[in-house]
Amino acid sequence: MNGHRSEQIGAPATGFQQPLVLTYGQDVKGYLFKHVGRLALLALTCTSVMAVLLIFLFVILEALPFLGKFSIVEFLTSTAWYPQAHQKPEFGALALVAGSVYVTAASLFFSAPIGVLAAIFLSDIVSFEVRNVVKPVIEVLAAIPSVAYGFFAVLVLAPWMQKHLGFATGTNALNAALLLSIMALPTIISVAEDSISATGRELREASYALGATRVETMFKVVIPAAHSGIIAGVVLGMMRAIGETMVVWMASGNASQIPHPWWDLSQSVRTMTATIAGDMGETEKGSDHYRALFAIGLLLLVMTFLLNIMSEYFLTRAKKSLGRS
Amino acid sequence: MKVIRRTILDKAFTAITALPVVLLVAALLVILTPMLWRGAGAVLFEGTVEWRKMQLAEFGHGDEAGIRAEADQAQAARAAVYEMIDKFKSGVDAEQLTDRAKEIYRGFGKELQRKDVPREQYTMLRSLSREIRDKLETAFSSSDIGQMRELTNDVLQYETDDRFKGTIAREFFPLARKYQEAAATVNLNKRSEYARDLAELEQIIRDIFGPRPMEESPALAQFRYGATRWDQAQDLLFRLLWKEEWVEKQPGQPLVKIAASRKEQFAETELKGMFDLVENNLGRMLNPKWTFYWRYFTDDSTPGHYFGGIGPEILGTLILTILSMAFVVPLGLISAAYLTERTHEGPVIRIIRMCINTLAGVPSIVFGLFGMAFFVLFFLPLFGAPSKPCILAGSLTLAVLTLPVMIRSSEEAIRTVPQTYKEASLALGASKFRTFVTVTLPVALPGILTGVILSLSRVAGETAPILFTAGIAVGPVPKSLLQTTRTLSYGSWDMAVADKLAALVPHNQYGMVVTLVLLILCLNALAIVIRSRVLKRLKGH
Repeated sequence: MNGHRSEQIGAPATGFQQPLVLTYGQDVKGYLFKHVGRLALLALTCTSVMAVLLIFLFVILEALPFLGKFSIVEFLTSTAWYPQAHQKPEFGALALVAGSVYVTAASLFFSAPIGVLAAIFLSDIVSFEVRNVVKPVIEVLAAIPSVAYGFFAVLVLAPWMQKHLGFATGTNALNAALLLSIMALPTIISVAEDSISATGRELREASYALGATRVETMFKVVIPAAHSGIIAGVVLGMMRAIGETMVVWMASGNASQIPHPWWDLSQSVRTMTATIAGDMGETEKGSDHYRALFAIGLLLLVMTFLLNIMSEYFLTRAKKSLGRS
Repeated sequence: MKVIRRTILDKAFTAITALPVVLLVAALLVILTPMLWRGAGAVLFEGTVEWRKMQLAEFGHGDEAGIRAEADQAQAARAAVYEMIDKFKSGVDAEQLTDRAKEIYRGFGKELQRKDVPREQYTMLRSLSREIRDKLETAFSSSDIGQMRELTNDVLQYETDDRFKGTIAREFFPLARKYQEAAATVNLNKRSEYARDLAELEQIIRDIFGPRPMEESPALAQFRYGATRWDQAQDLLFRLLWKEEWVEKQPGQPLVKIAASRKEQFAETELKGMFDLVENNLGRMLNPKWTFYWRYFTDDSTPGHYFGGIGPEILGTLILTILSMAFVVPLGLISAAYLTERTHEGPVIRIIRMCINTLAGVPSIVFGLFGMAFFVLFFLPLFGAPSKPCILAGSLTLAVLTLPVMIRSSEEAIRTVPQTYKEASLALGASKFRTFVTVTLPVALPGILTGVILSLSRVAGETAPILFTAGIAVGPVPKSLLQTTRTLSYGSWDMAVADKLAALVPHNQYGMVVTLVLLILCLNALAIVIRSRVLKRLKGH
């Protein structure tokens, strides 16, 4: 071992006898190697960019013939979704969009307040040890695959609802919304907690020094300071909920209707994601129905894209405002 | 006063913030406990002799001679039950008896034709046998015990008649005698009711014990065996002993479900001993033993996952995830390296970051659409592969899906490497590339590994992207990457919603989903452990 090391140290000594000047060829080679290498790395890094472009391109390409053949206005405003009708198939996606919005809004109704409270609890109230226990629980909730949540919704929650809450059907908007809120919670909690704990100690201490209690400090100082981050968290949770497929497909009942009266969560709805997942298997490639499903996919893509931009706007704002304070 | 109110408000708020966390923990328990509890039943249960027979016949597991001996023993215990049922049936089932009488009559007619008897004798015997048949038929369907006895006695007087000796027609008489004996013990008025319930009883007995030894084996695997599990047998026993009835307790009230004892219902018949016999000897008839079915994780299954395990699903999940990791890990690592090494954020980097964020936000079902439109319909045909869903298309789709996760986690891992390490390496004259490979990468490796494991767990659980690109619910084990495969996630969906047969075997339903959840939770636990070690090491510096 020892001898080996001394040899290693001794070896470069002979190398130093050569002049440290590169030949012209070596210089060019090094230059090319550096820049070509960097370009190659850049190209590989751009795979993500390519992927996004290809996703948009291919979804649009498949949806385009449909948008040319049928009226977009009707697609967005009609509730008649009869893609398999023999005489005259109708493709009105309003009920499906409403279904998505419905379960998403209902899930946020549960998860946003719970998530923000949990974030406050984790950042300001409990000790570091308790945090270390609670955090893995939240991570586990985030890790459980959506199909397992759907499984629970169909086989455990749905029969329970039908039996104990007296609903006509166990697979309904409430069922889907409850599970979606559990799935959205980890996202909301982690983003909101990050931004709440990022508001400095000074702010809180100033507030306490003025005699404010904890609840006053939280609601009048910390939450206003961290509101951008909290909103970003809720938007990200919304994205997760609106794009979720398996849970809503399994739990929402898949009835293409707008609930009436509107607040009645015990009725079945059908979301955009569930329609794509459920119908795609039965369509012929290239048919109107197939293209209509791609049009729904495009709509979904645009919606999540807008939400994404929104969340990013709020996140940058949160970063900026915290940097200033 | 105001101070008190504020203090109370403050304490109340503190208490309320704890509530969501309690709710979360409760939700986790409510979701996982029943799953784990019922899913454990897929591998640990009391298997009966029927289960061992099934394992031997369907999968070739187990000691053949031992199982045969055990099955024969069980069959010996069951024989008494079959005997009782057959005896009772011969007195009750008018339809079957009538059919038998008609059959004998027809057979006799044919026999006479074959024998070429003289014409007058033929007509005479034919009309006589018709008379016997008609009398028996009336006797079988009569509910008057006197009439029944009279008619059967009428028939039996021909028993000694020489003309019927040695012919098929002599079979009329044992039929008549047996019926006379059996019918004496049965309340004939209740016969139609008995016949209906008997059919039900026979079905339940068949569900418990499987088809009788002499019977032909049914085509569908789920009917070939009796109750394979002791808990199943217990449920069936309950159904055997108790009949579910909807009765109106008070007029105008909704119907109430009650359990009526079948033992009482059949109290005055031959069958009365059967219920106690089965109830007391069910153990001997089925021979339950605690079984640890570890082959659940390697066995194939019969249609609907009625019997067997989830081997192909586990295999499919592993192939899909590992293949997609093979695509995404190098790509994610290089991207992360590039993004971290570029210190100043130019427009190119900003665009790349925006695209990564967008990619992370694309709904999984849209990945499914994209995978079908791009990989299945466009990309694979470019290389001459058939334009069909396959493992390759599915894993490529999953790779694109998990790329942002991989990039972000590797970037984070690379950023935690202290700047001093890199500077030391650069100062020694190593190039940037060399520094990255020999200094940064080894230090960041545990963190990167965490990212890989998290991506792996994400990919293993995804269902929507493989719906149209790689997954099937029923099908052969794939032989190449250009075939579809079963996966745990797709199978969980299928068993929960689509497969009606699977609803009859809840242990297998839960077994599948629990395997998936446990696989993912183990991967996550591993990631958490690695991460905490890394954090500890970094703190040490």
